[in-house]
Amino acid sequence: MTFLIQQTMLYAIPLMVVALAGVFAERSGIINLALEGIMIFGAFIGVLFVNLVQQAGVFDAAYAQGNWIALQGFELLAMAVSALMGGVFSLLLSFASVNLKADQTIGGTALNLMAPALVLFFIRIIASQNTLQMATGNAASWFMIQKSDFGYGRNEEMGFLGSTFLDRTYLATYVCILIFVLLAILLYKTRFGLRLRSCGENPQAADSLGINVYKMRYAGTTISGALAGMGGFVYALTTANCTANGDVAGFGFLALAVMIFGNWKPLNIAGASLLFGLFKCIAASYSSLDINGDGVFLLNELGISSHFYRMLPYLITLAVLAFTSKRSRAPKAEGIPYDKGQR
Amino acid sequence: MKKLVALLLAMTMALSLAACNSNDANQSPDASAGSSETSSGEPTNSGSAAEITDPNSIADDMRSEDGTYQVAFVTDVGDLKDKSFNQGTYDGVKLYAANNGLSYKYYRPANNSEATDEDRYNAMRAAVEGGAEVVVCAGYLQEAALRRAAMEFSDVPFIFIDGNPLSDDEGNLLTNVAAISFQEEQAGYLAGYAAVMDGFTSLGFSGGGGGNNDACNRFGYGYLQGINAAAAELDITVDVNFSWLYGADFQASTDLQTMISGWYASGTEVVFACGGAMFNSISNAAATNSKYVIGVDVDQSGEGDFVITSAMKSLADAVQWALDHVYDETFTQIGGQATKLGAAEDAVGLPTTDEAWRFESYTVEQYEQLYQQLVDGTVVVDANFANQAGTQWTNLNLNMVE
Repeated sequence: MTFLIQQTMLYAIPLMVVALAGVFAERSGIINLALEGIMIFGAFIGVLFVNLVQQAGVFDAAYAQGNWIALQGFELLAMAVSALMGGVFSLLLSFASVNLKADQTIGGTALNLMAPALVLFFIRIIASQNTLQMATGNAASWFMIQKSDFGYGRNEEMGFLGSTFLDRTYLATYVCILIFVLLAILLYKTRFGLRLRSCGENPQAADSLGINVYKMRYAGTTISGALAGMGGFVYALTTANCTANGDVAGFGFLALAVMIFGNWKPLNIAGASLLFGLFKCIAASYSSLDINGDGVFLLNELGISSHFYRMLPYLITLAVLAFTSKRSRAPKAEGIPYDKGQR
Repeated sequence: MKKLVALLLAMTMALSLAACNSNDANQSPDASAGSSETSSGEPTNSGSAAEITDPNSIADDMRSEDGTYQVAFVTDVGDLKDKSFNQGTYDGVKLYAANNGLSYKYYRPANNSEATDEDRYNAMRAAVEGGAEVVVCAGYLQEAALRRAAMEFSDVPFIFIDGNPLSDDEGNLLTNVAAISFQEEQAGYLAGYAAVMDGFTSLGFSGGGGGNNDACNRFGYGYLQGINAAAAELDITVDVNFSWLYGADFQASTDLQTMISGWYASGTEVVFACGGAMFNSISNAAATNSKYVIGVDVDQSGEGDFVITSAMKSLADAVQWALDHVYDETFTQIGGQATKLGAAEDAVGLPTTDEAWRFESYTVEQYEQLYQQLVDGTVVVDANFANQAGTQWTNLNLNMVE
């Protein structure tokens, strides 16, 4: 059970954050297809930051002493840097689609094509190879929270809650959840959020009330870029040993699907990404999944074809969509460049 | 503001153009890179007292006085410094050349991972025209280009790493191509045997190439044979999870990480990570669960304490061995032949240095004993991985995860 919960979070958290990134852009009226590209870029920036800071030796003392709090600070810093650069990268999209009124789908696709090439180009220059790694050590020993950090010995048990939510987790996971909640509140309970959403529904009306649609769209896309950049780094940190190679295994596109699946609403998105993550996790690990801890791999014993398990996440998605798509409603003005003169 | 952003965009474009240029630029050696290390090497054989053993102390780029380069290396896809295949092969070129006072140079086919046969042929042609006395080509992808180059430059010896012998249009064997491949199954055998002997009873294998890469298949089949042999010796039965899933493109992924984490969580103690960047997901899972990994191709012990050993093939030594044949006029012995390098040639094995040997009860002496048995043929490892499916294992429960 502990395993299932922890692995599901590994899938669900980056998906959830990046899907929310999509929501912010689309709610402001910009289709952000570039999520994948921004994730790749963010992952690269985060890993590069970790690599450079390690080379500078800033946290060596903290690492040697096992000062995990300082190391968590380092992790947060890397997340912040990747978020910042993700936001900067997304300005290319905002500029093209807000100022130049270009087709947003094409702009996003261009970024998706550019990001891996650009990232690989820099990785080549920096590392003379296709993968950028940490300068020393590995992600788990530097950034993972372990029970020994709380004074537990190797053979001491933490209890179910402790071993599931504290032992072998990354702070990044919880920070992402916190940011997700805060931004959801921002989107729905603040003046800024209302204005942002109005620009995605009826920008002419919003403009007539004195809201600067261009600014709002820039804000939405930049928040989107920051979230996607951070999500990219969290992905690289938790599943690829903090390495960047110009690839995030299609998580950006999955996030787009989750966003639509979640009907552009944060709560639904959280649910959708957890559901999707859970079934992806089952698909990848069903053969060694011990659900109730009795030593029997139930799903493997059932004798159902492995292909079925691998189809499951998509079957579930299809089924849920079939029942809920009637109520699915995208922001009305998304994808349409705002033109002041248009009525 | 608009102009500024337009400028930025233009620069980005210029940057991506520069990316294309840099690939070609690699073909010309860097003038500033120190050539002093190489030019001072004595023109004697490698047995001299001043033999250089650390390839990293030799510059990648050297400049010869007359602008010709005797030993040429044409890279496989990927980078020269890939910590793996290209680098290992080039290390051999550099070591041999530096220790024998030869000039050397590497040629990277244009367009890198999208390199066509034409690009590769051009690189080989450039090498020959640059005065190459021997051309080392790495990777089976070069086969078609190499065949063309070898037919055209029939008096130049070519060394084909990880490849098979080639023949010309009439079906005659090209005797100027020496094909060298490795007995990966022996390296896998040694790793599996050592792991079980050290007390591991639940193991895993995660291979790249989706089961279609011969080298990975041989690693995997040998690994199972080693595990079975050791388990039989100890009279125990061990569990093995064996999978080609999520590794078809050799990349790290969440799916791979989750699957391997699942193995570790359900009792698997060590997983053989057989393929490039896949190692990152597998090592992440191992470090998270405080379990172990077996590395591949080169000694990966530097990646972390969880790398208990590595199933290596010694590319550098193989290249030096082949170059030796070129320069002591015995190339005819290996030209046109398929050379399989294995334990007998000391070309596969596990790292035995103190920092890389992390087994607790299995000792280097025991390992060397087994190695000797591989060398003299007492222990034979089956290389034909097609037999794997039909094998009845006596002492292991094989769980094919698919």
